[in-house]
Amino acid sequence: MSLKKFSELFIDLDSCNSTNKKIGILQNYFSSNEALENSWTIYLLTGKNNKRFISGRSLKTLFSEIYEYPLWLIDSCYLKVGDSAEVISLLLRNMITGENIKYQDVSLDELLNKSFPKLSILKEDDKKLRVKEIWENIPIENLLVLNKILTGTFRVGVSIGLITKSIAKLINLDEAIISHRLMGDFIPSEESYKLLIDKNINPSELNYKPYPFLLANTFEKKIIDKSINDFQFEWKWDGIRIQLIKRSGKVSIWTRGQDLINKSFPELVEEISSIKDDFVIDGELLVWDFKQNLPLNFSLLQKRINRKAPSRSIQKSLPIICIAYDLLEINGEDQRDSNLEIRRNNLEKNLYSWLNESKEELSNIFKISDLIYPRNWEEVETFKNNSRDNGTEGLVIKNKKSIYTPGRKKGIWWKYKVDPMQLDAVLIYAKGGSGIRAGLYTDYSFALWKDGELIKFASAYSGLNNTEIKELDRWIRQNTIDRFGPVRSVRPEMVFEISFENIQISKRHKSGIAVRFPRITKWRKDKLIKDADTLENAQKLMLNK
Amino acid sequence: MKEDSSYLIKYTSSGLYCELADAWIDPIKPVKRALITHAHMDHFTFGCDEYISTYETAVIIKERIGKEINIKTYDYEKEFKINGIKISFHPSGHILGSSQIKFILAEEIWLITGDFKRQKDETCKEYEIVKTDYLISESTFGLPIFRWDEPQKTATDISKWVNSSKEKTSILFCYSLGKAQRILNEISKTNFINDIYTHSSIYRMNNCYKKLGIDIIKTKKLEQTKNNSDLNGSLIILPPALNKSSSLKNFKDIQTGFASGWMSIRALRKRSGYDKGFSISDHADWKDILRTIKESKAKNVFFHHGDNEALNKYLKEKSSINVLEFEYKK
Repeated sequence: MSLKKFSELFIDLDSCNSTNKKIGILQNYFSSNEALENSWTIYLLTGKNNKRFISGRSLKTLFSEIYEYPLWLIDSCYLKVGDSAEVISLLLRNMITGENIKYQDVSLDELLNKSFPKLSILKEDDKKLRVKEIWENIPIENLLVLNKILTGTFRVGVSIGLITKSIAKLINLDEAIISHRLMGDFIPSEESYKLLIDKNINPSELNYKPYPFLLANTFEKKIIDKSINDFQFEWKWDGIRIQLIKRSGKVSIWTRGQDLINKSFPELVEEISSIKDDFVIDGELLVWDFKQNLPLNFSLLQKRINRKAPSRSIQKSLPIICIAYDLLEINGEDQRDSNLEIRRNNLEKNLYSWLNESKEELSNIFKISDLIYPRNWEEVETFKNNSRDNGTEGLVIKNKKSIYTPGRKKGIWWKYKVDPMQLDAVLIYAKGGSGIRAGLYTDYSFALWKDGELIKFASAYSGLNNTEIKELDRWIRQNTIDRFGPVRSVRPEMVFEISFENIQISKRHKSGIAVRFPRITKWRKDKLIKDADTLENAQKLMLNK
Repeated sequence: MKEDSSYLIKYTSSGLYCELADAWIDPIKPVKRALITHAHMDHFTFGCDEYISTYETAVIIKERIGKEINIKTYDYEKEFKINGIKISFHPSGHILGSSQIKFILAEEIWLITGDFKRQKDETCKEYEIVKTDYLISESTFGLPIFRWDEPQKTATDISKWVNSSKEKTSILFCYSLGKAQRILNEISKTNFINDIYTHSSIYRMNNCYKKLGIDIIKTKKLEQTKNNSDLNGSLIILPPALNKSSSLKNFKDIQTGFASGWMSIRALRKRSGYDKGFSISDHADWKDILRTIKESKAKNVFFHHGDNEALNKYLKEKSSINVLEFEYKK
């Protein structure tokens, strides 16, 4: 039982890059620990919805006030370290001498269930005293993990898949079962851990849980050697992948990120409840423009997700639809081992009968994913290239003979995305990165020309390799013309090719446009800044899409 | 306060310079006369007419570069004069032979710390507290996040790391001069009994230390072993330049570690690409930099090497010491 033990686990996992060894470390840990502590460990390791008890900023302020320590100095340290929890843990070593203190080990349950939640009800002064007391009674080497839990930023290089494997090995049970048990929300308790490692499988235990999602691989050229008839083709919608579950009459909507989002979409829950059968459907959620019969922008969907219990008027102004891709279970019968052709037939048969039997409202909100029928691979290419016309981002190609397996297995589904839009833009600002990129300038802002002036149009963080990051970091330091806090304004000299998925009008940005998922695809050292694109070019992209 | 131009020590494009003695301190370009604080190669430049250092530093430099140079040596504390400026070397605790350099002109004392540390290290002389008016301090680790563990703890961690993966060959990277010998010395005090191999450059330095009277535990020279598959469970110490090099391909199943003060930061540890980071440094940490300034009784402080923004600001806020900055002259 303990934070100490968990802290050692963190250190072991953090400095280990062999998957097998990690599994061994986890197995050892689980088998030598109490059920309740194990359940909290799983909760923390999966990091699904780790609660933030104190923000990183507040942690720094608390430290500064408790020890009368200059905040600017903490911020200077942060630039080097990139993680508030770690900065404070490192600084605490200057405050706590470690002599004459009897350290106490605490359980994760004590911290996560009692000490930390109680902090929020304390007044500022009491909170300071309490946090000080917690810090000073815990061995210094465990403070990093403690602060990470406190700020909800605990992460370590362990995937859910790895935890699944360790547990499955530990009790010698099929991985698929453990994986299914770990789906959805995992509420830490002695019970939940015991259920997780229970060798007896109780069919109803998984009732409200989604199945592990099947994920598509990136398109591989080699599949065009096969007959076009081996595959099923659908549009790739840019919404949220969901599992729509109706079991024992109860509806639950789960995202791929394993969030339960019933509350954000009451209209869907209501319509689905009226269907007579029980089922599990794999589908996509979108905000829909019924006039043009096209999906609306992803940001509007995000708006809907963030709004719990949306009013009628929001439901009307941002109407959603669910597009059904696949049928995974019907009236309690698992369909995942049937091949796609059979599942698709069943999906069509059932969905059409539900739509026929119900009022019009259901058909407005619940649709089938239309199949596309290219006659050859050239036509596949054409469909893909025109996919922006109907608001999709490409095609999904599915092997007709495949069964529904968890994860991103090869040879089952492929996503064939339309080429991104691209513009050449000039680097104008850079900001220090955080986490593993601390101390390096890795957050970049790019600009396009407008009437001889460079206007910021996008920020991007990814796309450069480590060598390029270091090179650019050095260049940024040598070519800074101004500083605003952590941001440096740099000499406009470097041109980068920026790729993005979508472009649209935005009143919030000075450039008047917003792009989706921008990233750097090439450092155009061959280009001068006068060769960079103009805002006009960006607007043309918008009109042509 | 004095005008910059009247400072006894200035900063030039070749490095720190004492104009009256016409001598540079650890110059980065060939100059007439070079005072060398210690034998790390980033503090040494070929082609100077004359070098001056401690005896130990001279021996190590000659061993490293493999040839004779015009180098004059003085013992610690021994005062010598150049153009009327009194100069002396004092132990800086960084590595064997490393020194601070004191300059006296009339009643005014200047002290250049060179690279220094205050932690215990049996492979070199302990840092000597020298009183001064002007202090030029290194500030490689000039942030309070740096606070070194006891070296014995790091040595125990290294020993545990090797022993927890006996099926593997453990390769520890560290600087071949100073750090390697310090680590070997610390490891010899743990209960580590496995074989230790060292790269030829480290092996040579170990012998050099022995010649100078510092006892370093016996290690095997790496090149002597052609077949590297029977090295499982042993510890191999290599200089960092060999990481990712083709010579690592000779080993079958390895784990790598890096010993450096920077490894106390997780982001740097992760970015370094080594499996494991061990925090141990031959430079002073934040508290020891501040303590050294205080003990030197200096009224004026300059920093060079490393991040000094935080130190500058902190001293300005918290002390009555003048924090000065060199005006850079090309």
